[in-house]
Amino acid sequence: MTWPVSRQSPAVVRAIARRDFDNARSYRLAWGLEAFAALLGVSLYYFISETFREVDPAELSGAPSYFAFALVGVVLGFVIQSSTIGLTRRIREEQLTGTLEAVVVQPVRDADLGLGLACYPFLNSGLRAGVYLLGADLVLGVDFSRADWLGLVLVLFATTLLFFALGLVFGAIVLLVKQAQAIAAIGTLTITMLGGAYFPVAVLPGWLEPLASLAPTKMAFDGARAALYRGGGWGDDVLGLVAIAVVCIPLGLALFTASLRWQRRRGSIGEY
Amino acid sequence: MAGAVVEAQGVRRSFGRREVLGGVDLVVERGERVALRGPNGSGKSTLLRCVLGSIQPSAGTVLVCGEPAGTLEARRRIGATLSQDRSFYLRLSGRDNLLFFARLRLPSLRAARAEVQQVVDELEIGAIAAQRVSRCSTGMTQQLGFARALLGAPAALLLDEPTRSLDEGATAGMWAALDRRPDLAVLIATHRDEDVTHCHRTHDLAG
Repeated sequence: MTWPVSRQSPAVVRAIARRDFDNARSYRLAWGLEAFAALLGVSLYYFISETFREVDPAELSGAPSYFAFALVGVVLGFVIQSSTIGLTRRIREEQLTGTLEAVVVQPVRDADLGLGLACYPFLNSGLRAGVYLLGADLVLGVDFSRADWLGLVLVLFATTLLFFALGLVFGAIVLLVKQAQAIAAIGTLTITMLGGAYFPVAVLPGWLEPLASLAPTKMAFDGARAALYRGGGWGDDVLGLVAIAVVCIPLGLALFTASLRWQRRRGSIGEY
Repeated sequence: MAGAVVEAQGVRRSFGRREVLGGVDLVVERGERVALRGPNGSGKSTLLRCVLGSIQPSAGTVLVCGEPAGTLEARRRIGATLSQDRSFYLRLSGRDNLLFFARLRLPSLRAARAEVQQVVDELEIGAIAAQRVSRCSTGMTQQLGFARALLGAPAALLLDEPTRSLDEGATAGMWAALDRRPDLAVLIATHRDEDVTHCHRTHDLAG
């Protein structure tokens, strides 16, 4: 099994993250347009919430309204997508532009490469999550007066750690079968919905509820809602997420490394 | 010249049922330049990739400075230009690209910056490095590729048709840079007789 970090890791991760930041910055309008599109998406849930106001907060994990409930799903769902789909998209871009081979022949551990590729999507999604919550507060009037911000940051961090591992697994699949982004998209959407991103798990069909309770996304959403709207009660969720992440990250890195090794054996790193 | 830098022994590589390399034995010693020749499809690029470590041989062994090809230590000792032109980040400048690859090879950002500056000055490619790669011609990108190969003071250089798109001045600059590194082991895949005159010997791959 691959040990997640080495002495060289921080420098490699910084270099790859800086490259991704510079690359993203070269598309001047993209960040702002994507943020605007996401805010439009958030406002969609606001108007749905306005249409169906009479929902008992007890059914909404402590959230004061359906919009406040769904807001957590949208924001955290974005962080989860960035950690999983963001990484697979980066790998796919490297395959298509032909840079993947140029990078993997450098004296860099495969695990560091995986960590580095995940770093910018991770930072970007964290920043965006903050922007969206701020927008929801200032523009749409969501009440965060009871929020425990440290708790929220810890929930976001633990969630990202865990889904970074899942991103590595999806990344390994993209390395192997190239056009596999749809697998990542379907997988991410499934666990996001199952975890109760946009509706309470209680409305799922009875046979799906046990599955939903197993989804780590449920811990992420419950923890974030507890931190934002109840000001506490997120500790168990963070511990649960970190415990799963501690097991899954080395496994994800091992799979990613094995996938690159397999590509070398097949001689298809340069293919797309 | 003394000491093998690249050692390939009985290297075979097949893609599906097609055998591209059929048992290559080759040694490139310190300070030696070897021209790899052969018709299209004879496996020149494949052999370079086997040495580089991005492809594993189906059989046989490849060592770089005594380390198995593809290991971290072997990769640290090799610089390479690949036959594909598309191995740079098109949205970034040439200098930012070089700096990124230098940071993967060198211990600190300061060392990476200094080395990039030195290589850019040596090859006189400041104007190319300042441009976004998407605006560079094939020949300009090839010069950046050569500059990238020199980063990190490698012991061996693998060059795949390095002069294919270069003008006379850039070609002369490349050979001059190699002449300034007399200890470097260089393996060059080429179709051009002019390149062969700059090498100590040739190694022919059967078609």
